[in-house]
Amino acid sequence: MTQTIIWTIAIIAGLGLLLAVILYFVAEKFKVVEDPRIDEVEKVMPGANCGGCGFAGCRAFADAAVKAPNLDNNYCPVGGNEVMKKVAAILGYEIAEKAPQVAVVRCNGSCEARPRTTEYDGVKSCKVKAALYAGDTGCAYGCLGCGDCVAACQFGAIHMNPETGLPEVDETKCTACGACTKACPKHIIEIRNKGTMPKNQRRVWVGCVNKDKGGVARKACTNACIGCGKCATVCKFGAITIENNLSYIDYNKCKACGQCVFACPTHAIQFSGFEPKQVTPKPAPAGEQANKEA
Amino acid sequence: MKTFKIGGIHPNDSKISRDCKIEVLPVPQKVFISMAQHLGAPAKPIVAVGDRVKTGQVIGEPGGFISAFVHSSVTGTVKSIAPRKDLAGNCVVPHVEIEVEPDEWAEGIDTSDTIVTEIPQDKDFILGRVKANGVVGLGGATFPAHVKLAPAKQPDFLILNGAECEPYLTSDYRIMMEKTAQIIVGAAIMRQVLGGPRTVIAIEENKPEAIDAMNNMVRMLKDNHGGYDGIEVMPLMKKYPQGGEKQLINAVTGREVLSGKLPADAGCVVQNVATALAVYDAVQKNMPLITNTLTVTGDCLPAERQHNYLFRIGIPLSYIAEYAGGIPDEAAKIISGGPMMGKAIANLDATTVKGSSSLLFLTDAQTRRKKASNCIRCGRCADACPMGLEPFLLYRLYNAGNTEELENNAVQDCISCGCCLYSCPANIPLLDNINMAKGQVMGIIRARAAAAKAAAEAAKVEQK
Repeated sequence: MTQTIIWTIAIIAGLGLLLAVILYFVAEKFKVVEDPRIDEVEKVMPGANCGGCGFAGCRAFADAAVKAPNLDNNYCPVGGNEVMKKVAAILGYEIAEKAPQVAVVRCNGSCEARPRTTEYDGVKSCKVKAALYAGDTGCAYGCLGCGDCVAACQFGAIHMNPETGLPEVDETKCTACGACTKACPKHIIEIRNKGTMPKNQRRVWVGCVNKDKGGVARKACTNACIGCGKCATVCKFGAITIENNLSYIDYNKCKACGQCVFACPTHAIQFSGFEPKQVTPKPAPAGEQANKEA
Repeated sequence: MKTFKIGGIHPNDSKISRDCKIEVLPVPQKVFISMAQHLGAPAKPIVAVGDRVKTGQVIGEPGGFISAFVHSSVTGTVKSIAPRKDLAGNCVVPHVEIEVEPDEWAEGIDTSDTIVTEIPQDKDFILGRVKANGVVGLGGATFPAHVKLAPAKQPDFLILNGAECEPYLTSDYRIMMEKTAQIIVGAAIMRQVLGGPRTVIAIEENKPEAIDAMNNMVRMLKDNHGGYDGIEVMPLMKKYPQGGEKQLINAVTGREVLSGKLPADAGCVVQNVATALAVYDAVQKNMPLITNTLTVTGDCLPAERQHNYLFRIGIPLSYIAEYAGGIPDEAAKIISGGPMMGKAIANLDATTVKGSSSLLFLTDAQTRRKKASNCIRCGRCADACPMGLEPFLLYRLYNAGNTEELENNAVQDCISCGCCLYSCPANIPLLDNINMAKGQVMGIIRARAAAAKAAAEAAKVEQK
């Protein structure tokens, strides 16, 4: 009886030892050599696995960052400069600080401004709606209002405003990962710098993407950019360009003086983080003005 | 009686306007001719603002291999060439705006009514005329006809699609009744180009008058003229979507078009009866494709307001609606095409194109979507799918974002006929989601093919 027990234990223990040895050698033979820095980098990542960096997840980003010769093309928008500094420290690279960014909705065609011409009764998805037709308003470029961006946002930073029928971005939650820009079939959401300087939150943008001619655009939506170019004329910094009947403000050049906001006849230019003050141009001497008129 | 084997549904055919004779629609003061009236690359306008054009004159040249000529449907002066909103409200395609004057036909066009039954023997002559006169498939897809009539290998079957399986539409039925001889001559011309395959004019059983008319005319032409052998009329059982190319091939020949293959691979060419009429006009009369037949119908229209019109391309739909007596109050949705596969008209100012087939007024009760409930896996959609797919599964896979499994389950074979949506007792928007899934998977397949091509070319360069 005792002998049976002893034998059993011995055999099991022997087998275990033997298999352990085999396992050890097999593991040695097929070992995958992985840079230990990948693990380290992954640890400092935010762990959202949102794909905002262009890779499948944080681990994939870490892998790519370790293999890349520098960090110029790898940037985690969610972690921002803080995380990137840590990553750079681990890998021994140097990075240039990037300005913090935020998602901006470039459509202000609210329900009042943009009357509905048809009633949409189909699946509540912008993608499906965009495949079917131009949209339930006269504007073929603007927000479709089914909230694909809301569904795409992993950080709960976007919600639909029931009054305007447009999405609104909560900038405290937005990480500028860009998921909403990809989800929007009309490409109305743009990732822009949060402010003119890394420290402030002053920003100005054109809240319209309509490329139709002025009259057509205006007819569809009273808030549409009509491409008149008044904003470009008033801008002292050359930040505004007009292309395809549409104005665009380059956020790298914009100093958020806010003068274009006043120049825009359709109130298509929107702002955030400050209250623009109109600088009245110095009145020209009376004689000069008379000359001009003549 | 024959029909296709898998799936299908039996909606009420509602052919209310079937006995309304074709009326010629007058031309308004202005027409807008679209440069994208066919599948493939849009045509390039070759006229300038201020030019005077004659009826039947070329105003657009093909923009690629799969493209077609566009002709002016009226005589007049070109007022503008600019993008104009289409049915869906998208403002992309250039339209040529012409201010209309009394008709003056371009040279070489035979506008007489005499029926020319002599079939030309020269294939290049026929194909040349078909191409030059901008003939496209009028069954719905508007695929350029000259491309389809020049298959790589000789087909065994030419099938003329007179099924008209979509409810409400009667334009094909009317032309089969009123232009019987022309359609059969057109069929004989196409048969000539294709090297004399067996030619079957397939008509659903709900159009017995058309079957009789066709049979009589085929017999008469066979007796009196040469070159009409091998043409037969085949009645088919009524079932939707029998007019689908792959379903029709299956119904007529018993053959299957395999997944990812074309009708040509099954030795078949399918053309609509309206296309046969256009081919007749193009080859025998040198008449470009500038007219087509359109049904104005709907349950909310009284009998006297149902119409079948012979329209010129480029006429705004709003003008047609107005001419036909205005939009009825009960109408909640206007559809261009049949109720199953047609497109909702978001912009009634859009113009008619070569493939326009109807202006269908539907009431709120007919069109409003019912609230969707959960899938109980009854399998009705799978029973109804004529392509043998499992719509409920594809719907789930799309929502899960599993493109790999979608491809394995052949979502790319979907013909968007809407049988699944029609048969679903839970009102689940199957078709909308499957269409999206199809777009996604097709994109992946195309990208893969492009990558493979690029890799093969790179390998070739390396070898050199």
